Amino acid sequence: MNTKRKTSDMLVATAQPATTTDGVSLQVSGLKLSLGGKNILRDISFSLREHGINILIGPSGAGKSTLLRCLNQLHADWQGEMLIMNHHARQWPGGTDALRHQMGLIAQKPAVFPCSIEKNVTFGLSSRERKHPPAGLIERVLRQAVLWDEVKDRLHESAAILSIGQQQRLCIARALALSPSMLLLDEPTASLDPRSKQLIEASLSQLAETMPLLCVTHDIEQAQRLGGQIIFMCDGRIIEIASADTFFTRPERLEAREFLRWSTCDCS
Amino acid sequence: MLNLWMRASVFITLVVVILMLGFLVSQSWPYWWQYGIGMLFAGEWYPYERLFGMAPAIIGSFWAAVVALIIAIPTGIAAAVMSTELMSGPWRGLLRGGMELLAGIPSVVYGLLGLWVLLPFLQSSLNLLTGHNLLAAGLLLSVMVLPTIMVMAQDALHEVHINQREAALSLGIDWNTRLWRVLLPQAWPGIRSGILLALGRALGETMAVMLVVGSMDRIPDPWYNLLAPAQTLTSRIGREIGEATFGSIHFAALMACGLLLAVATIAISLLAQEKRGQFTFFPGEAGSRKK
Ligand SMILES: Nc1ncnc2c1ncn2[C@@H]1O[C@H](COP(=O)(O)OP(=O)(O)O)[C@@H](O)[C@H]1O
Ligand SMILES: [Mg+2]
Repeated sequence: MNTKRKTSDMLVATAQPATTTDGVSLQVSGLKLSLGGKNILRDISFSLREHGINILIGPSGAGKSTLLRCLNQLHADWQGEMLIMNHHARQWPGGTDALRHQMGLIAQKPAVFPCSIEKNVTFGLSSRERKHPPAGLIERVLRQAVLWDEVKDRLHESAAILSIGQQQRLCIARALALSPSMLLLDEPTASLDPRSKQLIEASLSQLAETMPLLCVTHDIEQAQRLGGQIIFMCDGRIIEIASADTFFTRPERLEAREFLRWSTCDCS
Repeated sequence: MLNLWMRASVFITLVVVILMLGFLVSQSWPYWWQYGIGMLFAGEWYPYERLFGMAPAIIGSFWAAVVALIIAIPTGIAAAVMSTELMSGPWRGLLRGGMELLAGIPSVVYGLLGLWVLLPFLQSSLNLLTGHNLLAAGLLLSVMVLPTIMVMAQDALHEVHINQREAALSLGIDWNTRLWRVLLPQAWPGIRSGILLALGRALGETMAVMLVVGSMDRIPDPWYNLLAPAQTLTSRIGREIGEATFGSIHFAALMACGLLLAVATIAISLLAQEKRGQFTFFPGEAGSRKK
């Protein structure tokens, strides 16, 4: 990890106009969003490499969920520059729905559909693929989400009977079934039992070898376990981007130090 | 205390329903006793010749309700989807207000409008001897039950959780698929209740139907002929109850019509109130609806 440590001001100053960049899956520069007349995202610039874990961290209300929703285009009226796999998000071939396939979004509260586990996995596919899923797809994505062993004998049962932790992993599998080029996870393990937390972390570490993950978390210990690049957000801005080692031992910015101190206090 | 009141009101409601059914049974008893249950399938109803076959009115009620629902179900659901999913605030309010207005119009006004507008239109455009027929009754009923279906469907769609909507949206599922695979299936228990309530209303509506149906006791010939004057259970009671002497067999026969209606509508509203979530769009996955 060389010098990813920049202040937001420097990031803005160095924000490039949209150009092709190798090895970068997502490049956001000068992203702004206001909701209900309030500026929620003020000037977001960062990029994600083609694989690896990126932890989005920051106090409550910083705009982390909103940022993920912008990337998935659930908030469509953002301003700025968003390059996904070297395509402009607004001119994505196949339109917004096709783009959303690429940006698998895992919400904080798992929302499984009231149908069977199997149908949940294939829910996002085209109707033809839903009827005849590609061979091995269901098993592969359920294995990637570390859920296969628990559900392999009851794929036709309702997904609603799964535990919350299992449902969250099902949601990950559902997003993976669309072969996304990255995963956006909004506090995926908040309010989950330790066991599910552990399984999801294992799954994320594996997945990060093939695609970039952008994972929001409140849990500093989890962030330390997962490692990777830390993106620290506060009040609609990115304050600091650093490797996990650097961020947790020598945070550069005052806000980050404050955040770490208070969060550590909270934990104990 | 509150509990006591609730128990008392449940008890009173039950007693009223049972008393009402008991009254209808006792008043129609001479008819059932003399003519037997086979009269349900008999085709002649000539009170002066003491023939009291129920079939024409039963078939008429059935057709009028079917026509009404065939029109009102898709229209009402479409209106509900439009207003909850596609329209912005003010338009939504306008549509809902309009529907509530429709629901509030007295049925005799619908009947009069039917007489003046619908019947001449049907008569001239279909080239009939008279516009009085089951189609007219069904069309009129469809407007009358539309608000029930639409408002219930609207409420049911509102109840589909935002998490479910966003989960579908964030997977990149297009609008049609979201509608048919997420919104409608999850709103279905509520929509179904609305449809059943509408069916109950369509079967029980008297005044408007009586004014347009033609009141001829004939089984439609052929069975799907909706364009000849006909009769429904309600319109028969409405027409003839004034002429029937209290205690006569004619009176008992009309009470038997009333009993049929009461049993049918009670059964329908029980079905409509059946606990949500017991019905599901996904066979073999009953009870899978999630909060
Ligand atoms: N739809 C919305 N309309 C108006 N304000 C919103 C909306 N969604 C979120 N916000 C506001 O945006 C801010 C950031 O929210 P959020 O992204 O959920 O924060 P985080 O996930 O970092 O805790 C909050 O102050 C919140 O009140
Ligand atoms: Mg959040």
